[in-house]
Amino acid sequence: MDKRQQQMADLQAHLQQLGEQFSQRLREELPQLADKALQLQACADPSEQLQRLTELRDHLHKLAGSAGTFGFSDLGARARLLEQQTQQWLSSLELQRQGLQGLVNELQQLASVEQVSQASVAPVLKTPSVGANRDGAYRVYILEDELKVGDVIRLTLNTFGYQASHFLTTAALDAALVEQLPDALIIDVNLGDSQQTGLDYAAALQKRLEHSLPLLVLTTQNDFYTQLQAARIGAMGFFSKPVDVAKLENRLERCFNQQSGEPYRVLIVDDDRELSSRYRLVLSGANMLVEVVNDPLQLFDAMARFHPEVLVLDVNMPGCSGPELAQVVRFNDDWLRVPIIYLSAETDIALQMSVLIRAGDDFVTKPISDNSLIATVFARAQRARLLSNALSRDSLTGLLKHADIKEQVAIEQERALRSGKPASVVMLDIDHFKKVNDTHGHAVGDNVIRALANLLRQRLRRVDSLGRYGGEEFMAVLPDCNGEQAVSILDEIRQQFSSISFAGEQSDFHVSLSAGIASSHERTADELMEMADRALYAAKNNGRNQVRLADD
Amino acid sequence: MPDLKRILHVEDDPSIQAVAKVALEAVGGFTVLSCSCGQDALDQVQGFAPDFILLDVMMPGMDGPQTLQELGRMVDITQIPVAFMTAKVQPNEIEHYRSLGARDVIIKPFDPMQLATQIRAIWSQSRG
Repeated sequence: MDKRQQQMADLQAHLQQLGEQFSQRLREELPQLADKALQLQACADPSEQLQRLTELRDHLHKLAGSAGTFGFSDLGARARLLEQQTQQWLSSLELQRQGLQGLVNELQQLASVEQVSQASVAPVLKTPSVGANRDGAYRVYILEDELKVGDVIRLTLNTFGYQASHFLTTAALDAALVEQLPDALIIDVNLGDSQQTGLDYAAALQKRLEHSLPLLVLTTQNDFYTQLQAARIGAMGFFSKPVDVAKLENRLERCFNQQSGEPYRVLIVDDDRELSSRYRLVLSGANMLVEVVNDPLQLFDAMARFHPEVLVLDVNMPGCSGPELAQVVRFNDDWLRVPIIYLSAETDIALQMSVLIRAGDDFVTKPISDNSLIATVFARAQRARLLSNALSRDSLTGLLKHADIKEQVAIEQERALRSGKPASVVMLDIDHFKKVNDTHGHAVGDNVIRALANLLRQRLRRVDSLGRYGGEEFMAVLPDCNGEQAVSILDEIRQQFSSISFAGEQSDFHVSLSAGIASSHERTADELMEMADRALYAAKNNGRNQVRLADD
Repeated sequence: MPDLKRILHVEDDPSIQAVAKVALEAVGGFTVLSCSCGQDALDQVQGFAPDFILLDVMMPGMDGPQTLQELGRMVDITQIPVAFMTAKVQPNEIEHYRSLGARDVIIKPFDPMQLATQIRAIWSQSRG
């Protein structure tokens, strides 16, 4: 490659990167636009209406101008049409209610469809991203003028597998930024005595950087105004001190995972085989994992086996209607988090409403356009997963809670049965934990639990799932990992854990752990968990501080 | 007659600002100063001494035409060509912008790979 070609390749890579950032921005901006339209619709005061409409037009105008430059020409064209529509209303000073509903629908659709089809990037933006060839660890810079606080965050993030660096002053951070840009920034906004310096610095920094970085803000002020300022400089997280590092890490992970999550799991129940396979095709095309059930009676089996994140039900089916089915699903608390969407030829709004009040979350009306199906399912799935993640994390450790790790074990074991590759289930317990609490107090006990959680997260792979099963009990499931491998991994963790020195009331102390492991690609999840539990019990009886494999 | 080297770009949208800067510097070989609002441009224009000014039309606070008017008081815009950038494409609007003193209008969305060429074209016409 000659110099000119190299320059062009660099330029393409750079443009590609900018395009990715723009698409990231769209994912925040489009839902805001849809919200603006909804607010306009809800607004009755004419002068306020006018103001909101003007704002909406200006926003659409910006979008119409910018989207095409980054290759989202279709989005740009649609924004332009909507801009013209709003302009017409503004010129005639007359808002048409019916047209407004159309605007709201269109914007809501843009908000969800665009996220699905963001891969369709511009002709100029084809080169693979330069950021792609990383060594796996995300680089995080921390600006914190309290040495101890910064150190704790740095060390904890490092155990979570990040490459974190801590800087005490803006000058030190500036110097590091010249050398190498991080993937994310964590900035304490209360530097020294001033309450403002950190925010000003962060704002100036974001401006100075060619593309702003994911930013998390730490503060001693938890007031609305500080939060607003943080939001204005593009912060993606806001944490008041003392900082809960597990939560901080969760938010970081969410920043990085937004694009690379697992596909959403969707279960469709429709007696019409042709239609349902068409829906399957459409949703699979939008990178979702789809299963179809044609007989409503098979629903429970499919739900237990497939663990859908969204349920799509036809309204009219022989034997059992969609709404009836939804009510039955709602009897079961395990499936509370799964949103239910109806497919219906019904255009009678009153009837749809009465159905939604009984059970279910949304309607897609037949004939169903591919886009509206994708948009509705995608939006529901996305929200459900976010909520589910937030609900399923234990607040002390950031690990999965009891019910959720059990569900994860079931999912992994299902996969193991299909693939024939064994999964290992680990039950793990801190030895004599009650003594730690009694001797050193609960705060120290919490530190021990947190330390073990961190160590496990650090040592296990990303595909492994990890939960806090009870007080001092943990459970993990290791897919594609046989019993011997699991024992050797866990035994290493056992040794490391026993070497950690904890600061107690009077003196430092050490703690050990015991673990039981069961591995199979033939057993059910429940059987595996019970076997692992028995192995743990045997380890405890045999003197503790050891890892035992269950006899098959 | 000076050569076209330094471009002052006034644009409040950070994404557009970034992509234009990359495109103009890498493809055109220009030196670009990006300003995010009209006031910023007024503060910097004399120090930067641009050969060409690229102005977004719709900006919060001082918009493009207002910025152009203020710039006209500080520098000789008969010697420094100014082009507007906008998503609006009505022919009468282009005339309107010309009457304000702009040499031409670049339509958004623009192709980053073509932007430098478009600006060179406006530049040579204004020298014509």
